[in-house]
Amino acid sequence: MAAFELLGGGFLAAFQFWAFMTIVTGLLVGVVAGALPGISFVNAMAMALPFTYVMEPTQSMLFLGGIYVGGVFGGSISAILINVPGTPASLPATWDGYPMTKRGEAKRALTIAVTASAIGGLVSALVLAFLSAPFASFALKFSQPEFFAATLLGLVSVIAIAKDQPVITMVSLLLGIVVGTVGVDPLYGQARFSFGVPEMESGIRFVVVMIGLFAIGEVVDLLATDRDLRPKKTGGKAVGAKLRDILDVKWAIARGTGIGCLIGMIPGAGATPGAVIAYGIEKQVSKRGSAFGTGVKEGLAAPEAAKNATTGAAMIPLLTLGIPGSAATAIMLAAMMLHGVSPGPLLFIMDPTMVYTIFAAMIIANILMIFAGIGVAQLFSTLMRTPPSILAAFIIVLSVVGAFGVRNNIFDVYVCLAFGVLGWGMKRIGFPSAPLVLGVILGPLAERYFLTSMANFKQDWTVFFTRPISATILGLALIFILWSLAPSIKGVMRRRN
Amino acid sequence: MATASDSDPVRRTSRTGRSIPPGPAAILPTLLPAGLLLMALVLPRFMFQSDQTASKIGLGPAAWPDAMLLGMAVFCVLWIVRDVWALGATNRKPTLSIPIEDGHYDFGKAIVGLIMIISYGWSLPILGFAVSTSVFIMIWCLFGGLRNLLVVIPVTMIGTIALLWLFMGLALMPLPRGFGPFDDFSIWLLRATGIY
Repeated sequence: MAAFELLGGGFLAAFQFWAFMTIVTGLLVGVVAGALPGISFVNAMAMALPFTYVMEPTQSMLFLGGIYVGGVFGGSISAILINVPGTPASLPATWDGYPMTKRGEAKRALTIAVTASAIGGLVSALVLAFLSAPFASFALKFSQPEFFAATLLGLVSVIAIAKDQPVITMVSLLLGIVVGTVGVDPLYGQARFSFGVPEMESGIRFVVVMIGLFAIGEVVDLLATDRDLRPKKTGGKAVGAKLRDILDVKWAIARGTGIGCLIGMIPGAGATPGAVIAYGIEKQVSKRGSAFGTGVKEGLAAPEAAKNATTGAAMIPLLTLGIPGSAATAIMLAAMMLHGVSPGPLLFIMDPTMVYTIFAAMIIANILMIFAGIGVAQLFSTLMRTPPSILAAFIIVLSVVGAFGVRNNIFDVYVCLAFGVLGWGMKRIGFPSAPLVLGVILGPLAERYFLTSMANFKQDWTVFFTRPISATILGLALIFILWSLAPSIKGVMRRRN
Repeated sequence: MATASDSDPVRRTSRTGRSIPPGPAAILPTLLPAGLLLMALVLPRFMFQSDQTASKIGLGPAAWPDAMLLGMAVFCVLWIVRDVWALGATNRKPTLSIPIEDGHYDFGKAIVGLIMIISYGWSLPILGFAVSTSVFIMIWCLFGGLRNLLVVIPVTMIGTIALLWLFMGLALMPLPRGFGPFDDFSIWLLRATGIY
């Protein structure tokens, strides 16, 4: 009952004019920043940090929370419209969202994505408001071996999206992990695969690889084909999503939301493994799983819901334990500390109004996101009517700027272009690029957690199997692999018979 | 693998444009696993620079990449074995098959497009963002079939200035200004647009 009263108070505070406008502004900044490849909402949050100096502590959290919620969704706009994920977590949106755009259903895809994201985020915010305490005590049981196991689960989930090519998918994934090892290692401080190039010692950033592999190949194909990405119109109106479309994917959204909430509360796991795991599971569960990758609504809705369901869940360890689980929540922690606020159990006792205003803001932001998302998506959808050559030229320029902006370094532009050529070549010969990108994103995390686990537990590799949570997650990973490979194995057996 | 790019049915032959040369197209998927296997076996030797030695404490910095390269080598061997097996069977196809293009794909145009993109990236530090971007947008639009200069020139000019304002003015990104006269021109343009 106390939680309801406190949340009511939080809503009253969040609906004050300036507080509400702060949420709306943050949300719009987040959606636009997320939609621009290479800019990312995390950069937008970092750039917004100085502006929070002049705000009240609660208002600063509302602003950053708005950017966070909007930005996690925003990445899917460019993923769906031009096949370039604005954020790593939007990668699965390219698999089924972009094929819908190619069919002229950009508006429908965007509406499904924003609705799924908003529902996922909303449920997650409610979980944050009412179940913080038990979830926090569970998250506290996680240590390096559990983080490693969770990251490994994210990595192996790529098997589920490998059609009939698990071997090639694994080669691509491992190649991505190897690319992720370039630069100084996380524990010993020694540079690897730098080949005497100083810039290589700083490593290859996943954003640069992602932009290169996806954007450049796609733009070159736009130039070389007669492909028309303009929304198809029926009776003078672009094809949008109907209520039926949303009802069709209700279970996909529910599953995605559940997975996102669980993955999100694990510090360090974040939205990307959540979205990829949700896609992999949905592919296995859905009746149309075999058609995934060709523009199936469920394949878009599940990862979208999971992605935003991690936002509220990721706030649980931040607010209850003071542990930031991602770069975005680390910036929020920095903003709180700048204002002299220390998150943790005491915050709930010392300043419950602030805590519940943040909870209320997360709920409001997710509801508003439907309107903001549809508005921004409509704007971006209109941009798709631009002649393809103009669109392609600007995609390249934005991609190059995005790669440059990662570290303000021209070397990253060269790396991006190299991966662009590679990505185009991979596409031409049918070698999958998505596992490679996933390897570059999650590989460094997996390595860091693996090495620190080994160092913390006296190089005893059995620690991953003797700790109950770690062993359970690894068991789930194994089940997941077997489950995903079952159709291929059955096919081989059938052919033999 | 169900990437958006891979999922669309693509036919390699082209109705009006130049198609992928059949020789390299057929050889590449066959050579790829062998090339990747070779890379996985050779790369560990080049992990550290010649004047460095891997730390001996714990697993060391080479352990993880070594394990990943070993895994990659194993999967490449599986890939090769499967392809060799497929060669012997009549109704089997190689693991990697070139996607089939649905309609027109002008391979020559794609190569020119790639060269243009690489040239753009290469020219950025020399000509500066403003000049190289405007030249790139204009050439790309003309090459892409948009021949109306009344559209191309305003799009180039307004687009470049809008990007400059957004990234150098608003996001304070230190985009390249170029060398010598191009640097002077970039500074003049940035002052003229009120960014500096």
